[in-house]
Amino acid sequence: MNKSAKDPATLEPPARPRIKVALVEDRAKVRGDWAKLINSFAEFTCIYACGTAEEALRDLPLSPPDVVLMDIFLPRMSGIECTSRLKALLPQTQIIILTAMADQGLVFLALKAGADGYLLKRTTPADLRTALLDVLGGGAPMSSQIARRVIESFRETAPQQDEAARLTLREEQILLLIAEGFTNKQIADKLDICFDTVGSHLKRVYKRLHVNSRAEAVARYMNSKEPPRKLPVSDPA
Amino acid sequence: MPRRRIFGFPGTLRDPLAGQGSRLLLGLLLAGLAWGLARDARAEDTPATGKQRERMQSIESYASATNDLGTWIWQATTHDDQPCRLWRSFAIPADSPIAKARLVMTVDNEFALYLDGVKLGHGSEWRELFVFDLTPLLTPGRHVLAVDCYNGSFYAGMLLGLRIDLADGRSLFVKSDSTWLVVPQSLPRWTKLAQAGPDWPAATVLAPLGGSPWWAQPAAVNLMPSLQPLRVHFWQTGWFQIALGTICAAALLASLWLVTQLVFQRRERHLLEAERTRIARDIHDDMGGRMTQLVVHVEVTQSELPTGAEMRSQLNWVGEEIRGLLATMDEVLWVVNPRCDTLSDFADYVCNYAQEFLKPAQVQCFFAVDPGLPAAPFHFPLRRSLLMAVKEALHNALKHSGATELHLEIHWQEPHLSVVVQDNGKGFDPALLKPGRNGLINMTQRLGELDGHCRITSRPGEGCRVELEIPLHRSLRSIWWRIWRRHSGSRQSGAAPNKDLLTHPES
Repeated sequence: MNKSAKDPATLEPPARPRIKVALVEDRAKVRGDWAKLINSFAEFTCIYACGTAEEALRDLPLSPPDVVLMDIFLPRMSGIECTSRLKALLPQTQIIILTAMADQGLVFLALKAGADGYLLKRTTPADLRTALLDVLGGGAPMSSQIARRVIESFRETAPQQDEAARLTLREEQILLLIAEGFTNKQIADKLDICFDTVGSHLKRVYKRLHVNSRAEAVARYMNSKEPPRKLPVSDPA
Repeated sequence: MPRRRIFGFPGTLRDPLAGQGSRLLLGLLLAGLAWGLARDARAEDTPATGKQRERMQSIESYASATNDLGTWIWQATTHDDQPCRLWRSFAIPADSPIAKARLVMTVDNEFALYLDGVKLGHGSEWRELFVFDLTPLLTPGRHVLAVDCYNGSFYAGMLLGLRIDLADGRSLFVKSDSTWLVVPQSLPRWTKLAQAGPDWPAATVLAPLGGSPWWAQPAAVNLMPSLQPLRVHFWQTGWFQIALGTICAAALLASLWLVTQLVFQRRERHLLEAERTRIARDIHDDMGGRMTQLVVHVEVTQSELPTGAEMRSQLNWVGEEIRGLLATMDEVLWVVNPRCDTLSDFADYVCNYAQEFLKPAQVQCFFAVDPGLPAAPFHFPLRRSLLMAVKEALHNALKHSGATELHLEIHWQEPHLSVVVQDNGKGFDPALLKPGRNGLINMTQRLGELDGHCRITSRPGEGCRVELEIPLHRSLRSIWWRIWRRHSGSRQSGAAPNKDLLTHPES
């Protein structure tokens, strides 16, 4: 494959070292194909292809990748739980959830667990590449449905939480516009901000969502005196 | 029960009252005092109060009490411990109202008096007279007097006189004489009989008034508490109570039936949900997984082929087809999955669908979804039908309007859910709509089935607005209707299959 043929406008120069990608997917055949597909892109190299969440948690910290592509349905530990644990171990690593079906509920759970974006497995290779670069660069795109859920999620949580767990006015403004169906470009025009700024705002929103849901989970734990069932959060400290 | 013989007179007292002797003496004294003082006093006019037997002492003179009495009668034979039933009917003319009716009687030894089958009272002292006021009880027409008598021992006889004064001055008399009939002991419910039997013998006259062995003057005259006609309210009547009981029983049965129906329905719903979960899992895990595998594999194979190879475009086509299939499967999964049975999920799905559907046509979709849609269940049939209607609206907008922007609104105003699809296309005049356009009819029909309605407003050049509204809390009427339909449906050839589950509205 011609390496210099695909050069999107938003990218780093091709001289930079290739971006390290890890793959967590239980089907060996799919794993192999995905790895091939990723390696076929000029900017990426697949350094790990794990079959289970446990394997990923064991191996990835040894040589942290830049991006992890995580399947939701894994044997034993789910991709969502793995995301939560991995984010605690490797806060710098970007995690993208792969899902076979556009199930917004599951995707939202994954985002709350710390995922930085999500992709449908049936995405075309070109879209996959763009999504990977978006996550590393400006911030993952967000659908209007997810934006609406994010807003609702922040509105539901108690307001006394710390700064990092709250949306800023601008972030909420952007989310509302996304929920209404505006594209990032239109939002940038409307709010008179730079296109990339919209992306970085969204990136912060993903982070806040994670912090917020962790705070929420801790609060729930403190209130109920029971360990949370679905998303056990391991403290990075 | 001890029996006591008093003064050697014929007859005995059965079950004598306490203080019988002193009461008798007092009665004699006071009755003697009253003699001549209140000769014409009318005891009948004294209202009888209470249920206690009232002793009439000074009001009624013996003379007037015995004035209208007949003779002592009994059945042909007399013996100890003997019951005897005496019966007589009489008629009161209809041309004049009744001014006064008074019945005086006694029986050696005991009696119970019935008028038209209703017991008026009883007595057990042959030396005294018992006065009944029948004024409020008698009406013009035929009546029956029945006296259930009993002889303890020795002599037995009944003495009776009924005087009915009519308003026009005439008087009717019914006295104990040989016109009375003796009713056989074997007859059941004889006091209520209106007609005499052909084989009933006539009563035998034993002695005239004052004749031996009975008294010439009674020891006392007892005014019996008179029976007043009761005002019977409609709720006290038998038919009303029976009707009420029937209605209550029917209501109870109906509610029991309804409860069992609800229990069954709930159980069926649980089973259905379990089944839907299983189907959703199967679709997701097996078909979804394998098709995803295929699509990735096609991509990889494609990338391994040299650029420009004809195979590449063919593989590209295969890949696109599988992607299309996966998208369709997404929809099936969404429809089937019970986890998506909420309003919020519905909004998500409809918005996502609209976005995906309009993206290839370069139509931008704007959303206005009410925040905080409740997680209230929005069940499968309702969800699916509304989705179909929305799809139809989107499809129409894309196909006919030439719009560049489309606004999708989802509003929740309890208990109504409304979805509005508005485009900025060329619009149309609803009056000029060709009758063949079933798209709009379909939508109206679909919404009608859900108790909802569909409003389409459009003007040429001003786009089109489709409002779909359904109630989510089903009315009691529709619950009944559904149960009824379920029953009648199961009796017929089963429910119609959900044909439109996967088909596109216009296909």
